[in-house]
Amino acid sequence: MMSQSSFDRLSVALSIVAALLIGAAVIALSGTNPLLAYGEMVEGALTGSGLRNTTARMIPIVGMGLALSIPFRAGVINLGGEGQMVLGGLAGTLCAIYLPGPPALVMAASIVAGAVAGAFWAFLAAAGQIWLKLPILISSLLLAYPARAITSYLVRFPFADPTVTSSSTVPVPDANRIPKLPLFGGVSASLVLLAFFLVAIAIFNQRTVAGYETRMTGLNSRFSRYGGVGVDRQVVWVMLASGAIAGVIGTHLVVGETYRFLDGDLVASGFAWTGLLVTLLASHRPLPLLAAGAFFSALQIGGLAMQRNVNVPWQIALVVQAVVIVVLAGRFVLSRRQRAQPEEIPMAEGELTVTGEV
Amino acid sequence: MFDQLFDGALLESVFRALIPILLAAIGGLVCERAGVFQISLEGMMLVGAFAAVAGSYLGQSALLGVTIAMAVTALFSLILGYGAVTRRGDPIVLGVAVNLLALGLTSFLLPQLFGVRGVFQHPRIDGLDRLAIPFLSDLPLIGQALFNLTIPGYLSLLAIPLIWLFLFRTPIGLRLRGVGERPASAETLGVSSTQYKYAAVVFSGLACGLAGAQLALGNVVQFAENMSSGRGWIAVVAVMLGRAHPAGVLGASALFGFAEGLGFRLQGNGLPVQITEALPYVVTLIALALARKRFQRILELTAA
Amino acid sequence: MSNALELRGISKSFPGVRANDNVDLEVRRGDIHAIVGENGAGKTTLMSILYGLTAPDSGEIVVDGRTVRFNSALDAIAAGLGMVHQAFKLFPTLTVAENVVFRNEPRTGIFLDRAEAAKRVRALGSEYGLMVDPGARIEDLPVGVLQRVEILKALYRDAQVLILDEPTAVLTPQERDNLFVTLRRLKDRGRTVIFITHKLGEVMAVSDRVTVLRGGRAVAHLDTASTSPTEVSRLMTGRNVDLDSRPPPSLLGEAVLSVTDLTVRDDDGLVRVDAVSLEVRSGEILGVAAVAGNGQHELIEAICGLRPADRGSIVVGGREVAAADMAVTRESGLAYIPEDRHRVGTAAGGEVWANLVMGFQRRKRFRRGRFMRRAEVEEHARRIIADYDVRVAGPAVTAATLSGGNLQKLVVGREMSHAAPLLVAEEPTRGVDVGAIEFLHRQLVEYRSQGGGILLLSAELWELLALSSRVVVMYEGRIVAELDPAETDEAELGFFMTGGSR
Repeated sequence: MMSQSSFDRLSVALSIVAALLIGAAVIALSGTNPLLAYGEMVEGALTGSGLRNTTARMIPIVGMGLALSIPFRAGVINLGGEGQMVLGGLAGTLCAIYLPGPPALVMAASIVAGAVAGAFWAFLAAAGQIWLKLPILISSLLLAYPARAITSYLVRFPFADPTVTSSSTVPVPDANRIPKLPLFGGVSASLVLLAFFLVAIAIFNQRTVAGYETRMTGLNSRFSRYGGVGVDRQVVWVMLASGAIAGVIGTHLVVGETYRFLDGDLVASGFAWTGLLVTLLASHRPLPLLAAGAFFSALQIGGLAMQRNVNVPWQIALVVQAVVIVVLAGRFVLSRRQRAQPEEIPMAEGELTVTGEV
Repeated sequence: MFDQLFDGALLESVFRALIPILLAAIGGLVCERAGVFQISLEGMMLVGAFAAVAGSYLGQSALLGVTIAMAVTALFSLILGYGAVTRRGDPIVLGVAVNLLALGLTSFLLPQLFGVRGVFQHPRIDGLDRLAIPFLSDLPLIGQALFNLTIPGYLSLLAIPLIWLFLFRTPIGLRLRGVGERPASAETLGVSSTQYKYAAVVFSGLACGLAGAQLALGNVVQFAENMSSGRGWIAVVAVMLGRAHPAGVLGASALFGFAEGLGFRLQGNGLPVQITEALPYVVTLIALALARKRFQRILELTAA
Repeated sequence: MSNALELRGISKSFPGVRANDNVDLEVRRGDIHAIVGENGAGKTTLMSILYGLTAPDSGEIVVDGRTVRFNSALDAIAAGLGMVHQAFKLFPTLTVAENVVFRNEPRTGIFLDRAEAAKRVRALGSEYGLMVDPGARIEDLPVGVLQRVEILKALYRDAQVLILDEPTAVLTPQERDNLFVTLRRLKDRGRTVIFITHKLGEVMAVSDRVTVLRGGRAVAHLDTASTSPTEVSRLMTGRNVDLDSRPPPSLLGEAVLSVTDLTVRDDDGLVRVDAVSLEVRSGEILGVAAVAGNGQHELIEAICGLRPADRGSIVVGGREVAAADMAVTRESGLAYIPEDRHRVGTAAGGEVWANLVMGFQRRKRFRRGRFMRRAEVEEHARRIIADYDVRVAGPAVTAATLSGGNLQKLVVGREMSHAAPLLVAEEPTRGVDVGAIEFLHRQLVEYRSQGGGILLLSAELWELLALSSRVVVMYEGRIVAELDPAETDEAELGFFMTGGSR
């Protein structure tokens, strides 16, 4: 057990080193000194306003990672986080803009609205798998495109701010914005929400019966079903939870960050995909997920500083992120489920033959 | 309104939309037959598009661009090949990561190499010419759509019967299907599943390179960040929906091409672009919902 | 007569098992040579060594007087060996001809010569009485025909020695008789047949010579003509099979399972269980005997709630569960030892405790509200580990590290510790060593004596006869006989299992 997890840690560390080296090679090949670029990255991510920006960016990255970790851990592959986040974001934003009432209540309502919209979109994918036998992997991904189209249409036409040239909503009224915390010079209070999600998920995973059951489904869904677990119901609610958190993150990105829902803005930064990589890197465990999210956030914020200062595009951060996962998956230490394949189990007498299969 | 919609021009835009999807789907189809779960078509197409534009820009020749696109994408496909075949890594995790790597890499290299963000257009980029076949291209309705295509366009249509012949009428095709269905059984007869799987993955790289070239040098003459925009995923779905049969995959690709072409046309008729752009994805979802029960393999793969 | 094949001093060990211990074997050319032994005697290991699938630790293989080394099945094929595995190695969506010629395809130019392939298959078929439509798809064919395709595959590759591993396990009596005709015809054409089985009747019916394996050793080489079933059986088991050692009957109580008029379809909509009625009362073991694929597995799945019933009623512990899922049947008092411990019975990636609490996780004892009582759970795991002698360092170890036998003990221990009124046991002793079999048998009898009712499925007829209070025989989805184990034998069971009727 110990050796297994320290082996995992070693693999993760090795894959990060490998990815950074490959990133350095890409930078060098494209004509910049990689040491200079990485130096700028570290400085940009951790000093001055960098620390605040890194922390701020952890909210969507860790948040989306947590959102996706819930279904992933249960063996359900939700690739549609983006759509759930965008729709949730718009629903939350519209609430924050148009709902009358005391600001605290409006803020709460807009977060709930974001959660509901995200959960609804995720539910469509879950329903598709259960009743139409349409894999969530595909349906959740494809559903992201209409989700983007719907928000794009709404933002450009019914809810457009006619006073600006960009297609966006009017800004969220000052009072209804999620406030900043006095941390590193102002990080959104959504951080508290993130901490709540993190702790709740950690407790759920570690301590509850349902957390145990979802993990078993992720390892072997037939085993779970055999043990009396209602696997279909589980698929629905892990997707609901996932979509809800994604929706809240979407809401945060507007009501807590940009204050206007700008068409295409939420998807441009690829938070849903970075979140996906983060949960894969962390094997869907909340605390490692926080660490992985912090790392990727620093990488992106540092990348932006590097772009400003030495004119190396920040997207090298995306390259490094993806390479970490490619290397890890290629080392075969990373699997959605650590299932021993029957043919790899040392064969003793009587196990060589399996009947019943053609 | 309908007779305004359905005419030769619509058919042309259908084919325009169809060809990149079909090319990628052909790659996916061969992988599926070889038992490789290939969901990195999207990323490979993007890499192909980028390499095509880069090659065409540097060499000022569209054909050079196409060649470079195919070579680069084939190399790029080895990442999935090594991870999924040699290391037996999780094909879904690898596929997703490879797609994101492609997106990151192309959006990094675009400003780094060409100094522009978002979209790269340049007079030095040589676009693919459409080659009209005499007489046939003058046929009403279908002439321009079918017989006035780029080289990748003709290749995509030719590939359908050729792949069919290869899979179902040659010994190598037979072995490939055997490997895909029961690799262990193929191994006991001395057919190396690793070899065939690698070959299939590299083939999908070549096909996606071609698809990307068509996208960036045929449909338009430019590279835009994330310009594959889901077409590779639609190709993945087309493979499933067409049950990895050349004719089925052609049919499924045509359906999506039609949806996109129609969307394009409806745009001209006043529907907001945001709605019509979603049309292919919605059509895909509806087709999937109607197809049912065709996804046992992927359900088994994904549902632990 | 020369030897087509010899094995000299073959030994092979797996962790914890000495599967083959200095085995010698001489197979004469043109013989049908039977290799018999109980499960776990080392037959399968010996055959996979012979066919190049497993490397022996020591010993040599001699084909036609030449010592050979096989690095893969391909070498064995090249040396003139052909194997018909118990699990067929065919490609379901390819045609018969495509399967037969795979990798040795006749061609015209770059194309596959499909006409020639079909012609060759037909020619071989008529020579050996193995008629198969070359254009048929494998997935559409019945099991008996698939076996013919496997034999054709070997013959197409010009196999001089054919090895058949438990070839009759999945056959109907008709198919079995046809197979025997084929084997004799192969012998007449000068080919050699090695025939692995544990069924004595078949040994006597078809073989020329017999080698008996027991505990990994070859304990006897006999001429079939000069031996008897009793002698072979004694050599196989190392004891006189004594069915009178059956446990005394215990007091019968109320019905814990009543199945009435149950019909179940498989995934393709075919009726697999056809109007079956049966009852298990507390204090008895009801054995179900059937050849693989006669609906017994679907029957079990329906009872457990893993497969919907098409029609009829299933009552577990007084509750109608025909439409229920596994959660409900478990609540109603059912525990289930599944046939496939890897795919169904365990999660290899989970810890031992996580595997042992499955099915119990919602019990009051193991939770406080929505939270799991980990201390209780681990205590429960430790108790099962101790009671069932699961060889593992502790509850936190990953289940993937357990050997097959240990995993089986884990599954059996978990399900028995439910003390459910009804225990459904599917192949409870498959793949465990002889000592563990005796242990598990005692446990099953004890379970019954304490008032549990057991529905027992086993491919081992002697096991059914040794444990059951009653045995029913299923054939093509129906119950065709109910027998008293004290007054029947394997032969009679086999007769009914293969569609015989009186």
